[in-house]
Amino acid sequence: MSDERQQQLQHLIEFLRTVQKPNKPIEQIGPDENLVTSGLIDSLALVEIVVYLENTYGIDFGAHGFEPERLSSMSSILEFIEQART
Amino acid sequence: MLLDLKVGNLTEPVSGRNWDSAEIGHQVARRIARFKRHRLAPGDRVFLPFGNRLEFFVELLAIWRLGACAVPIDARLTPFEIDTLVTAALPRLAVVDDATDAAVVEALVAANVGVVDTVDTGDEEALAGLSRLDDDALILFTSGSTGAPKGVVHTHRSLRARWVSLREQLGVAAFERTLCLLPTHFGHGLICNCLFPWLSGQHLFITPPFKPEIIMRLGALLDEHRITFMSSVPSIWRLALKLARPPSGGSLQRVHCGSAPLSAHVWEEIRRWTGTRQVCNAYGITETGSWVAGLSKADCAAEDGLIGEGWGAVVKVLRAADTAAPLDAEGECQTGELGFVWLNTPALMKGYFQRDDLTEKAVIDGWFLTGDIGFIDAQGRLVLRGRERDEINKGGMKIYPADIDAVVERFEHTADVCTFALDDAIYGQTVGIAVVLNKGDDATIRALHQWMTAHLAEHKLPSRWWIVDEIPRTSRGKINRDAVNAACIGLPSLDLPKILAGGEQA
Repeated sequence: MSDERQQQLQHLIEFLRTVQKPNKPIEQIGPDENLVTSGLIDSLALVEIVVYLENTYGIDFGAHGFEPERLSSMSSILEFIEQART
Repeated sequence: MLLDLKVGNLTEPVSGRNWDSAEIGHQVARRIARFKRHRLAPGDRVFLPFGNRLEFFVELLAIWRLGACAVPIDARLTPFEIDTLVTAALPRLAVVDDATDAAVVEALVAANVGVVDTVDTGDEEALAGLSRLDDDALILFTSGSTGAPKGVVHTHRSLRARWVSLREQLGVAAFERTLCLLPTHFGHGLICNCLFPWLSGQHLFITPPFKPEIIMRLGALLDEHRITFMSSVPSIWRLALKLARPPSGGSLQRVHCGSAPLSAHVWEEIRRWTGTRQVCNAYGITETGSWVAGLSKADCAAEDGLIGEGWGAVVKVLRAADTAAPLDAEGECQTGELGFVWLNTPALMKGYFQRDDLTEKAVIDGWFLTGDIGFIDAQGRLVLRGRERDEINKGGMKIYPADIDAVVERFEHTADVCTFALDDAIYGQTVGIAVVLNKGDDATIRALHQWMTAHLAEHKLPSRWWIVDEIPRTSRGKINRDAVNAACIGLPSLDLPKILAGGEQA
């Protein structure tokens, strides 16, 4: 994993800590694990992830459209960031 | 109980299941036969701790045709909360589905409630038509699931008064293909979004409630099923306006938004997204059969808090805010003057279930004290400005701080507690809590969290916690929840995930 991606992952984990359910330690969630079905976040928190990506990376969801599957895990979110920025 | 000679079709857009009125007739008849085998009698109460599926509606009709009373229950309640409601309402039977938690079924059985599965009907069919206008038809519990339950009782007469007035005010043409995204255990979703169109012979499309993955595809759903009407709450629009593509089919004729205040900005955004100007803020209160006021012709300028005219109701704004004395014309506010909103409608509930004390505090001479604050504008329309009710409105779901306080107070190390509303970008409001503990170590906090998880439905669990030295009170010893909120909000809240994780590592 590149330094930049590692940094993005750390930043994402810090953000997820602010929206996660309290009884599920984020350390127990694997990078490819589904954030909603694993019980880490409520599915409504997907909107907060969208706002986070808009504010942090300037991603315009109006231009990219929204597919919940693309924000389903930490890996897929990092992948989405990379694709949206190229 | 029907408003027309037959009910409309029922469709579940997500599963693709569909029943026409002939199939609905068979499904109801099978359930009448089943209920008869279980000796359900007029006046009996039946719990329905499930909803938002085809079977829910035919169970409801079968219960009513036998003269019994339906009690829809939030499927997310804990066994403790279910047990509290059972103790209060003493249901004869409960109908469950395959999603009902096994612990809930156990709690029902332990309380000697007969439990049947909604799909377990047998093939025998029977007819009945035993309901009378003044029979109890529906009990909707609005609060008190952890202590003293408050159940709104509607009779067939009060429900029919609501539906007939809506039919007179709005007609049924716009409701030809109605979508419901809201839960069927509360007034807005059940009485008005679902039952008004369906019992008037219109086609009802029912989805699981508050599912973001459905809301994110709302435009496609509206187009695919050529939906003409939908109701909603503001949190649906926070999601849909941001993430869902708008519909392109132009089928929507009317949209309601209720259960929480609608700002002029969001109102105009909804109009732009839906492609119809017929969007209105429907003022719904469970006690008045939900939609009790709104704009019959909604093509006007959007204004913050604008409701409109009464629908089958006389709306007054008065200076009086209690039911201690008969209302007086002298106490009526002038145009534009803020006061307390009172309603007079034949759709008013019969009362709170076995709580005459609460009914007397809310109703006098047939006038209902809403707890809302507003004014009548120069055009005679109601405009809301605030609420005096002690509730947290989480995305349109009403959560009562006293219910949460009652659970936390029973925890062995709690010295004092105050639950309050926190502003939230997604839900509008969410739950915060300040607790005074006589042991403030992490193990005690973990034990309190476990206690709350066992006793409170997940959506009621506080999202932010503050452990404080004392809860400020007024000179009369009352808690001012806004003051506690203000005192806490500037302080760091507990890092609950870290504390709970510490317990797992230990």
